[in-house]
Amino acid sequence: MNAPAMTQEKPTTSHVKPTALISGTFVTRDLARARKMCESLLGLECVEPEKGVMLIRERGHQPGEKLAGQPYWVLEAREVAEVAVPQEMLNHWGVFVSSQAAVDEAFEKINAQQKEFGLGRVQKPRFRHGSYAFYFVDGDSNWWEIEYRTPELLYTSLRAKGDQVDPYAP
Amino acid sequence: MTSLVNPELLSHGTLECNDIPATRRFLNEFLGIDVIRPLPEAQYLSKGGPWTVVCVCVEGEHKEQGPQNRFKLAVSSAGEVDAAHAAAEQQKDKYGIRRVEAVEEQNGIRSFRLQDMNKVWWEIANLTQTYYDDAFARGDYRQ
Repeated sequence: MNAPAMTQEKPTTSHVKPTALISGTFVTRDLARARKMCESLLGLECVEPEKGVMLIRERGHQPGEKLAGQPYWVLEAREVAEVAVPQEMLNHWGVFVSSQAAVDEAFEKINAQQKEFGLGRVQKPRFRHGSYAFYFVDGDSNWWEIEYRTPELLYTSLRAKGDQVDPYAP
Repeated sequence: MTSLVNPELLSHGTLECNDIPATRRFLNEFLGIDVIRPLPEAQYLSKGGPWTVVCVCVEGEHKEQGPQNRFKLAVSSAGEVDAAHAAAEQQKDKYGIRRVEAVEEQNGIRSFRLQDMNKVWWEIANLTQTYYDDAFARGDYRQ
């Protein structure tokens, strides 16, 4: 299992006192299309609590499931007439998969069904900054990364090591 | 349900910055986000869970994000939203905060949005995971 562990809360003396970085948001011109991609392509859980809004999280958090009670990150998609600010690759959402082979398998499947899901470019997998991953862009210019990292290179592992570069160096 | 990808974790989002030290001060000292710098060109942001926001330093001018693409920070009470709003107004010159919108309240959630020096939008709200738990438990509004 590649899923990272929780990190300890640190006391804060900051101006804002957050309990969690809890959500990220994006827009779509077609919520039904976005939902089909999130559920049938990315394997995420979606719900539409009100018209024009969709919440997204990884599966497994329902009562009785393996991640029940664990914290999770939510993406919130909102339906709009036009995408005012098209996104670029450096603004993307990432999902972890369990192995390098799973990245390759995902690439083959997604590339083969690019039209079915209304996707734009599907880039080939490559090694970059310790991860093996590929990117694709959806029909609303939102970029997605399918990524595998070895345990020592998981974000949580790197976070536990702290700064590796002077944080205030330019 | 069978999907093309079988993910383990919705793992990360990303944002861009121009000035790593100034961005770190804003994230750490103002927003209260935990930050580490594993690479010269990147910082990792986190608070409260295993997911991460990767902040990549880019050369030159980068795209201005709209408020519909933003990150949400949860605080523990409506009073803390108001305190954060007052602090944003007070500290905006120090931390390069470009815009601070008015506080709003909808369905019991009090919140406001601000745009930082990197043209990235943040929302600060008295949200809890219970709010999302309940939304997922209720299911789609049509049902």
